[in-house]
Amino acid sequence: MSSSSSPRGFALSSRLVHWVMAVLILAMLGLGLFIAHSSTVHYVTLLHLHLITGVSLLVLVIVRLLNRFVVPTPELPADLTTPMRLGATGAHLALYGLMIAQPLVGWAMLSAGGYPITLGGSVTLPPIVPHNPALWANLRQIHTILAYAFIAVILLHIVAALFHGLIRRDHVLSSMVSGK
Amino acid sequence: MSQTSSSRLLRWGCVLLPPALLAAGFAWAAGLFSPHRLSTARFMTVLENGGGAAPGFRRAHSKGLCVLGQFDASGAMTAYSSAAVFSQSHIPVTGRLALAPPFPHIVDGPGIVRSMALRLQPDHAQEWRTTMNDPPLQPMRDIQDAFASFSANQRDPVTHKPDPRLAKAYEEARPWLKTAYAANRAHVMSSDFANDTFNSIDSFQVTNAQGERHTVRWSMVPVSPPEAPVRPEDAHDPNVLFTHVIASLHQQPLRWNLVVTIANPSDPVNDPSQPWAPTDRTVTAGTLTLHSSASEDNSPCGGMVFDPTILPSGLSLSGDPLPALRSAVYMRSFVRRSGETKDPSSITPAMTQPH
Repeated sequence: MSSSSSPRGFALSSRLVHWVMAVLILAMLGLGLFIAHSSTVHYVTLLHLHLITGVSLLVLVIVRLLNRFVVPTPELPADLTTPMRLGATGAHLALYGLMIAQPLVGWAMLSAGGYPITLGGSVTLPPIVPHNPALWANLRQIHTILAYAFIAVILLHIVAALFHGLIRRDHVLSSMVSGK
Repeated sequence: MSQTSSSRLLRWGCVLLPPALLAAGFAWAAGLFSPHRLSTARFMTVLENGGGAAPGFRRAHSKGLCVLGQFDASGAMTAYSSAAVFSQSHIPVTGRLALAPPFPHIVDGPGIVRSMALRLQPDHAQEWRTTMNDPPLQPMRDIQDAFASFSANQRDPVTHKPDPRLAKAYEEARPWLKTAYAANRAHVMSSDFANDTFNSIDSFQVTNAQGERHTVRWSMVPVSPPEAPVRPEDAHDPNVLFTHVIASLHQQPLRWNLVVTIANPSDPVNDPSQPWAPTDRTVTAGTLTLHSSASEDNSPCGGMVFDPTILPSGLSLSGDPLPALRSAVYMRSFVRRSGETKDPSSITPAMTQPH
């Protein structure tokens, strides 16, 4: 399966965007859960941080997709069983889907709720759907469901990565850690 | 245990431990290990237990009427704030007049707290949403007080009424609220919405073009309110306050001056239960003119959240803890009611039509 054209490790640009997004996404999910399950005098500040990070992640996922199409990615190990191969592809598709959908749902949900989306000072994002309270209620629910799905797939992703590195001892983990 | 199998176990531990720790971190963030944390869901529960939790209605300030009008800034506040709402004229306003209790069909009465919520949307500038009540001070100083206060208002499952002993116990346990209770009891309620003064109670911060900051509170003070119409059927009208303000708006616009109080350095700016010095400087920032009313069943104010933390540049939060709580709880209430099928409001579209 290993073709001569595909590299053994991920390029620096791929690793950089992976790890920066990994840190931001974990922080984002933790922050979102905390905001949704507490009342604090810092609520407005934390929510604003959540918004700014969400916008940054939306920009980063576009960069990541462009990078993905330009820079070649390593193949999975040739001896991987078909179920594991399907699992890996499915999980990665889910992660990409969630990375794209979650910030867009957040943006659409605030738009439907009639909330102005202020990034800072007088910089605001335009609404992407019309003001519609029923849609707001649905999108707010979807934002929560996607967050829990995101957490589940990330945990699976980490288990799989460590399984490759420590149990199978193949090149999959090192291809994203050291690029070798 | 052989060396290989114990090292295999160790390696599996290294595979599973990091994700397990991460999952525990997420569980902590979601409050799974903190049952006493005052989550917005717990606030919703005590608010809903205090009222009827009528589907589709706001969980507090449930009975209301939409109002439409405009705000004309005097320009006097531009010395303190760069916000466009303080410099423009003819700013469109969507608002809501309401009774504070969590009962959408409560019978209007003279002793019930009234509120005015406004959304000011200037041209090509950031909007401002504000909520005001008619008592002068807030009988709670922080989020803990707010939770205890709503908890004390929960309806008894047997009598379906709040236990007055709980409210009394809440007050007696909080000597720091003595001033607020005394001021609110001494406050003389006006006869109608039209001649009522509405207060921000919470403080906010203003910033001018030079970057200078001041802490402020504000009030909407009625300007030459009309004589309250008195009709023989008033005594039997469960919506008498709303009927009056609708009738007044059919006769003439209603006006209020937005009077901003600038804190002096010794004012307790972070505590909405404490009064500020009566000698504080005040600035008349402009005039609110309400032209017409509409039922919240067919007006945009029904599907709008009057979140007091939606502030334009030049106006920001102070150290007052309650606006953040309002924002969080209002969002939760807004989600719940927006996903429910709502019964008709007490104030129907037909009632807002001229007779």
